Amino acid sequence: MLVPLSYNLRSLFVRKTATLLTVLGIGATVAIVSGVIALQQGFQSMYTGGGRSDVAVFLRPGANNEGDSQFSRDRGLKLIKSVPEIEVGPAGPIASMEAYLALLLPPARGGVTNVPLRGVQPMTFEIRRGEVEILEGRNFTPGSDELIVGRRLVGEIPSCVIDGVLELNRTPFRIVGVFDHSGQFAGEIWGDMDRVTTAMGRFGPNRVVAKLREGVEVGAPDPREVMFADEPPEPVPGSLAERLKNHPEVPARVYTEAQFLASQTVMLTGILGGLSAILGVIMGLAAVFTATNTMLSAIAARTNEIGILLSLGYRPVPIFLSFMFESLVLGLLGGFAGCLMALPFNGIKAGTMNFQTFTEMAFAFRVTPAVLVIAVTFSMLLGLIGGAWPAFRACRMKPTDALRRV
Amino acid sequence: MAPFVLVWRNLLRHPLRSVLTVLCVAIAVFLICFLRTMVTTLNAGVDAADNRRLAVMSRNGLFAALPLKYQAAIESIDGVELTTKFQWFGGYYRSQKNFFAQFAVDPETMFAMYPECKAPAEQIEAFRRNRTSCVIGSELVKEFGWKIGDTVPIIGSLNPHPEDKAWEFQVAGIYHSDVPNFDNRTLFLHWEYFEETLKAGGNPPGVGVFSIKIERDADAARVIADVEAAFEDSEQRVDCSTEAEFQRQFVTMFGNVPKFLGWIGSGVVVVILLACINTMLMALRDQAAEIGVLKSLGFTDMSMFMLLVAQSVLLCLLGGALGLGIAAGAEAPISEFMVKMFPGFAIHNDTFLLAGAAALAIGLIAGAAPAWRARNMPCVEAFRGTD
Amino acid sequence: MAHPMIRVRGLTKRYQRGGETLTVLDQLNLEMEEGRFYALMGPSGSGKTTLLNLIGGLDSPDEGELIVAGEDLADLSGADLAHWRSTNVGFVFQGFNLIPVLTARENVELPLKLTPLSRAQRRAQAETALKLVGLGDRMDHRPRQLSGGQEQRVAIARAIATDPKVILADEPTGDLDRKSAEQVLELLQRLNREFKKTILMVTHDPHAAERAQSIVHLDKGQLGRIEHNQAPVAAK
Repeated sequence: MLVPLSYNLRSLFVRKTATLLTVLGIGATVAIVSGVIALQQGFQSMYTGGGRSDVAVFLRPGANNEGDSQFSRDRGLKLIKSVPEIEVGPAGPIASMEAYLALLLPPARGGVTNVPLRGVQPMTFEIRRGEVEILEGRNFTPGSDELIVGRRLVGEIPSCVIDGVLELNRTPFRIVGVFDHSGQFAGEIWGDMDRVTTAMGRFGPNRVVAKLREGVEVGAPDPREVMFADEPPEPVPGSLAERLKNHPEVPARVYTEAQFLASQTVMLTGILGGLSAILGVIMGLAAVFTATNTMLSAIAARTNEIGILLSLGYRPVPIFLSFMFESLVLGLLGGFAGCLMALPFNGIKAGTMNFQTFTEMAFAFRVTPAVLVIAVTFSMLLGLIGGAWPAFRACRMKPTDALRRV
Repeated sequence: MAPFVLVWRNLLRHPLRSVLTVLCVAIAVFLICFLRTMVTTLNAGVDAADNRRLAVMSRNGLFAALPLKYQAAIESIDGVELTTKFQWFGGYYRSQKNFFAQFAVDPETMFAMYPECKAPAEQIEAFRRNRTSCVIGSELVKEFGWKIGDTVPIIGSLNPHPEDKAWEFQVAGIYHSDVPNFDNRTLFLHWEYFEETLKAGGNPPGVGVFSIKIERDADAARVIADVEAAFEDSEQRVDCSTEAEFQRQFVTMFGNVPKFLGWIGSGVVVVILLACINTMLMALRDQAAEIGVLKSLGFTDMSMFMLLVAQSVLLCLLGGALGLGIAAGAEAPISEFMVKMFPGFAIHNDTFLLAGAAALAIGLIAGAAPAWRARNMPCVEAFRGTD
Repeated sequence: MAHPMIRVRGLTKRYQRGGETLTVLDQLNLEMEEGRFYALMGPSGSGKTTLLNLIGGLDSPDEGELIVAGEDLADLSGADLAHWRSTNVGFVFQGFNLIPVLTARENVELPLKLTPLSRAQRRAQAETALKLVGLGDRMDHRPRQLSGGQEQRVAIARAIATDPKVILADEPTGDLDRKSAEQVLELLQRLNREFKKTILMVTHDPHAAERAQSIVHLDKGQLGRIEHNQAPVAAK
């Protein structure tokens, strides 16, 4: 025979202040942890969201990011020619050489930051057809000293405005447009590859990107394992990746773009993951203690009622379950409160340095449904753990003692 | 005057509740120490900076290299006593998970410029003479078990060896620094070997940062202006700043991260404050009748206010002391654990003070509302139930 | 007539309950002599406890004059009133109202903490009071470890610890069995007889009231008759 659930719900309502304080406490805990996860989701979605598996990224052998990688212009051209897997359009192979540099600019928050500057070729826009769109102004004219800036930089970096002028070393470049992209490019400045490298005194591009023919498998191992495993894995035998690794003239490392992007934030993902886990455990303990205190006090105030229930013939297990239910509801309410507190984080812009590339990452908090699910699950767990001991104490009471203690 | 024997006795009335509340406060204090130390560690380089040292880098940022010939030009500027150069090597040992910094440096001047980077004189001399040698930080010795005379293979991901193999450096010396702007996980390699090898591969290196030491009586602002003016019309313009400013700029690249850590810290304080208010309201409920009795015995309203506040403050101070103890005890293991990503994790005294003050503030605020109610509680409530 | 310990003139007390004004005490006049044992009787709602509260300085009247132990209570407020209470009045409650976390001795010592006595003096005085109520061997027990009658005797010891002139008791035997009640009443009589305490005891038990020298009847906030008991029931 189960104790009527309305009994517990009503008692939560009767003890309004304690319930409210506990719910707010659990809620704030959940909101803090969700906030860190939302931050991680924000930049993760920015990096992996744009990753395509029909686009290949070619790096110099041994390089793990664009900054480390370098090609000469000739070698880049030769590489494009020697890979028949690259799709060919009316204007030739759909492949582009890109330079990856950075401009030291002052962000609105103060100080300085390295804003990624990407030199691209016209074919880049063919590869990115449908991905990159001009929001305001126009695209830069190839071969000219013009730039376009990513949407996420607008406002964050005050000098990134249309008609603004950025000096690349000693050459003034004019900003002619703002472009959008769902991924990392929206936090970058783009210009003509040859003009940008010349102005910055670089001799060539950093990587080659290309659209692959349909059905081509790159066959590269997971770049995260290449970077962090003691024994780096090898490419699939006979694949494009293996052929290029051992190419006599233009050896290169090749990944699909999806693979490459996922590997560019492992360190920050790890740090934020670690931080949210540490905070989750430590703050979770505090929330559990609060819930325990509240439930202990709730049970102490109802000692008499528990005695009555026991003397009416209710068994200990239903009484245990009934208090566990009450605590679960407490946790659940805390979870909802936490979600409400975390929602305003959604969309808050943030910027930090990606340790792997040493460049600014402009991104925003993203309170995704997954974050909310984690929040509610976490809060229910807190409620259950917090309620366990008090509920156990309640069900172990002897009816005679419970009735005597007024 | 509050009957203080009651403060302690009342806390023992529900020992579990008191213990859990103390633990909550301890958690808050520990987290404040932890989170704030992350921020102060980032700023440690700024605080430890030497005001006689300047840094020169390209106005395009650390990514751009400066021509080697700039060094002579800088040295000719009035007030410059010493210069030395750094270039980021960008490699790794075996796997990228063994991440640590490597810089190509000039052994003749580097150690003179940075006396805080301590190594025995004969080891520095050995480094100077052997161009394929290196000096490594004491943490790397601990981590990889390297010792003097070992050969360390480093794969150059930014600067691959032209013969397509790992670079090899013999350990000539081990340095140790007690100052936070110099971590102990860096490998310094010989500039001449670095330059020659890359030149042979057709890709001569530039300089990432020139460090300048100015003469004792030189005006830093004037030297900075002179250095920047000297290259105004050269191929790369430069940005010259004091070491503190250079470090500060580097910290700003972490963007909003320090602010977010601050938000989290404030959130933690709010959570624990709520927990303590909850506890104190429960205490008030338990003691309400007794407060009426005490008042009828002649205890004043103010003394009843103090009775509640004292309980709250005592709980929070116990929690605070415990939290500070945990933080102090955990400092070394945390520092050990985070040495790769976050070298120099050390809790400052003012962080301890701040965390202790937070515990006291939580105690005062959490006690205030219930205490105010205790103060205003009429003593006639003691007679409730009759008539 | 001896010097009046308690003088009540035109005392009126009203309460607001559920939107209507309730006059609990209505223009009450009363004088109580020093060193006498009074019982205060009356039906529920007659204002007994309210009168006790007012005399004890726990509540303030809406109208009228109230002089207790030579002090006009209208002149006192806040901390002064609290201090006056600690030295002039001792309270005994129906529900004992001991502090559960303190031992019997510590409970008795509580009001002494408000006096300038030293720690040792407080301790000695508390022990004297406890011995007087016959609990010299229970001094380090907590209230939970005592019987109801013993608890009430500790409460009486607490009430007399500061040697007040007046003891106010509100249904002191209401929660006790017959035998314990007798003990408590005998104790009050002894305090009156041997230590000349002025005692005002609210009760609705006629047997308890017989122990007093005078029985004051209250009805609907007004004074009824006063019986003088020439030979109160003595200790058995």
